[in-house]
Amino acid sequence: MLYLSQVLGRPIRDLEGERVATVKDVIVRLGDDDHPPVTGFVARYRRRDFFLSRWRITNLNQQGVRLNTDILDLRPFVRREGEVLLARDVLDKQLIDVDGKRVVRVNDVQIIEAAAEWRVTGADVSLQGLWRRLAPHGFLGTKRPVEVLDWADVGYLATDAATVQLKSSSGKLARLHPVEIARLAEALSYHHGSEVVEALDDETAAETLEEMPAERQVQILADMDQERAADILEWMSPDEAADVLGDLPEEKAEELLGLMEDEEQADVAELLPYEDDTAGGLMTTEFVTLPRELTVGEALARLREMAETPNMIYYLYVVESEGSWKLMGVIALRSLILADPSMPLEEAMRTEFQKADPDEPARDVAQRIAEYNLLALPVIDDSGDILGIITVDDAMEILLPKDWRQRLPKLFG
Amino acid sequence: MAEPRAAVRAAGRRLMRRGARGVRSVGIWKRLLTYLAILGPGMITANAGNDAGGIATFASVGAEFGYRLLWILIPITISLGIVQEMCARMGAVTGKGLADLIRERFGVRWTALVMLALLVANAGVTVSEFVGIAAATELFGVPSFISVPLAAVVIWWLVVKGSYQRVERVFLLMSLVFLSYIVSAFLSKPDWTAVAVGLVKPTFSLEHAFLFSFVAIVGTTISPYMQVFVQSSVVEKGLTLEDYGKTKIDVWVGTVFAILIVFFIVVSTAATLHRNGIQISTAADAARALSPLAGRYAELLFGIGLFGASMLAAGVLPLATAYSISEALGFEKGVSRSFREAPIFLGVFTFLVAVGAAIAVIPNLPLIRVLLVTQVINGLLLPVVLFAVLRLVNDRELMGNKVNGTLYNLAAWLTAVVVTALSLLYLLVTLFPNLIHL
Repeated sequence: MLYLSQVLGRPIRDLEGERVATVKDVIVRLGDDDHPPVTGFVARYRRRDFFLSRWRITNLNQQGVRLNTDILDLRPFVRREGEVLLARDVLDKQLIDVDGKRVVRVNDVQIIEAAAEWRVTGADVSLQGLWRRLAPHGFLGTKRPVEVLDWADVGYLATDAATVQLKSSSGKLARLHPVEIARLAEALSYHHGSEVVEALDDETAAETLEEMPAERQVQILADMDQERAADILEWMSPDEAADVLGDLPEEKAEELLGLMEDEEQADVAELLPYEDDTAGGLMTTEFVTLPRELTVGEALARLREMAETPNMIYYLYVVESEGSWKLMGVIALRSLILADPSMPLEEAMRTEFQKADPDEPARDVAQRIAEYNLLALPVIDDSGDILGIITVDDAMEILLPKDWRQRLPKLFG
Repeated sequence: MAEPRAAVRAAGRRLMRRGARGVRSVGIWKRLLTYLAILGPGMITANAGNDAGGIATFASVGAEFGYRLLWILIPITISLGIVQEMCARMGAVTGKGLADLIRERFGVRWTALVMLALLVANAGVTVSEFVGIAAATELFGVPSFISVPLAAVVIWWLVVKGSYQRVERVFLLMSLVFLSYIVSAFLSKPDWTAVAVGLVKPTFSLEHAFLFSFVAIVGTTISPYMQVFVQSSVVEKGLTLEDYGKTKIDVWVGTVFAILIVFFIVVSTAATLHRNGIQISTAADAARALSPLAGRYAELLFGIGLFGASMLAAGVLPLATAYSISEALGFEKGVSRSFREAPIFLGVFTFLVAVGAAIAVIPNLPLIRVLLVTQVINGLLLPVVLFAVLRLVNDRELMGNKVNGTLYNLAAWLTAVVVTALSLLYLLVTLFPNLIHL
């Protein structure tokens, strides 16, 4: 086992043991391998950097590098696609440890020789790793245990050099909960945070964005490729998407809205006209309506058949007839399941229920939800049509102090 | 029969036809709020320089040299503005703190050096804050061996329990008392012609006392921690290149405002104390500069301001230092962590608070003198941080086309070189006092 710090600056010797250059950097190829292989070295000779393929090397240890040839190709070093330089791109940089769910800084890199190949096995993130580099060689006995992070758990490497696909493994990141991804992305610089979100699949990216502060959502989506931003917006819940679009410059928002699929576009567009701090601004358009002529049994059957169920199906909203929006009553899923299947919905539903006007202050509505212990509350317009619902998680965001909110898991979605 | 989802869709269309096609316009209020939110880091940081050590330094300068050193304020405004602006720009362009950048660009050894310098400088400033607390409470008759340990425990507790932010505003409000120096400066009827002459006519001397004051002024206005501060708060606020125009205005307005306060402190102390030949050796002396305004309540006013400013900085400074050091070395950080999770972070924080308080309670400590010495330490360590900043801000790989312009760079380098020369000169004069007599 070898540490990068023990290799850097060490001599490169030819067959006769003559010193011909020094090691400036170690090149690895990041790819599907959990432990990326060393593909070569950047050697420095008389202020010139040249490439040394790993096939020219017979030995690599703390004394340096031993060549298997006397002929050196002194063409200057040029970075190739997919290559990462350990000293330049990894050492001292931050990375996301998927296992520990944290952002750490690389103090040293561990290299292990196995089956005639050198592979990067881990990142040393401990104090010992720092000491090894600070203190003169062999000055301190580093027998104490080191904390090495398995390279297989590296979800994202925050360096400015390589391309996004190379640095992050969206599969590994997606193992984390969106709340955690959001927290980690925010711990990085805004460039790197955006890259983390961009590397995720549309659905996870949308969920992650929903967990971020509004300004960050706007910034990330505004800087992103427009098509991609629209795809992610489609996956966000309509009320969140509407909030983001509302915060974007008008022109940009209209463009993004135009790029969205019809269905999601309509959902979001419907929410856009409402001010943030009103019931209309707080509501979402994802809810289930059922015509009142159905029986309880038919209603349950229909729920099961629905291709896409909204997150909030605890309350079902009973409307006047098929295709109508006139809200006649509300029935909780619990009552629906417990009721006699042949009973008409009209008899099972409650006709007395809490509702909100779209222009009502958001805070008042949120307080009402908390007071009556509701999970959701319908928003009704002047003609008695249901426009949307306000769910308890959105209400809580308004009621709870900010630092409290961050500690709570999301209840819906 | 349409499924419910499809019905929802229809509703969306219907609403859109009703004329709700546009996107909500951003209210004027919201715009104003964003502006105020951005207007911040530069203003706050520049004025953080006017803490216990700052007040003591400027008051002493005014009392000892009268208007003679006022001219320094003009080059210092430019230098402070440039240095702060460079760091704010780095924060906006890279989204990273200064400690982060030093680690990523210069490696472990340089990081260790810069962090050590920062630790020493900030330990010095922390001592000065606790000395400020001691001086303030002594004005009210509370001995320092009671007030200082109590303050240290309270600050430590508040920060570790995460409730410091709530009391922070109280201290901030208290420190606004120092604005009364402006009124006091006018009421003390200074000789405005002499003020004007002092402001434009440079005087220089190789006397130890003169150099001491000079380095202390530089050290307290352009403190190393301020560069780290301003960059971190730009990053924390999520300010990017898009808002950079506003951030730049904020930095310069903040700088000019901070130096303006300094100007009035020097003028009012010069007009009251220097005129009567009084040198400042206790806080009560310094408070006297406020007597044209407050009369016999001058000490009360001064005490409140000094206490607020010192408590504020005594909490924020160790905290920020612990953040920077953990950040640069890659350790867990945050006040919500336990000692086992974040030993370095909480260790540095506790160490600074403890050392600051311990030194401040030493019996018969010449408080004002200690305050000045800590500012000199700041001035001496400043070059280390300044050169790091200069190298980073001119790194094209990092900053792209946002590196310094030629003229700007010249002014920035000049600042760094002059500050360094001054520090070296001061060290020379201190170590070999006989040199100037040659």
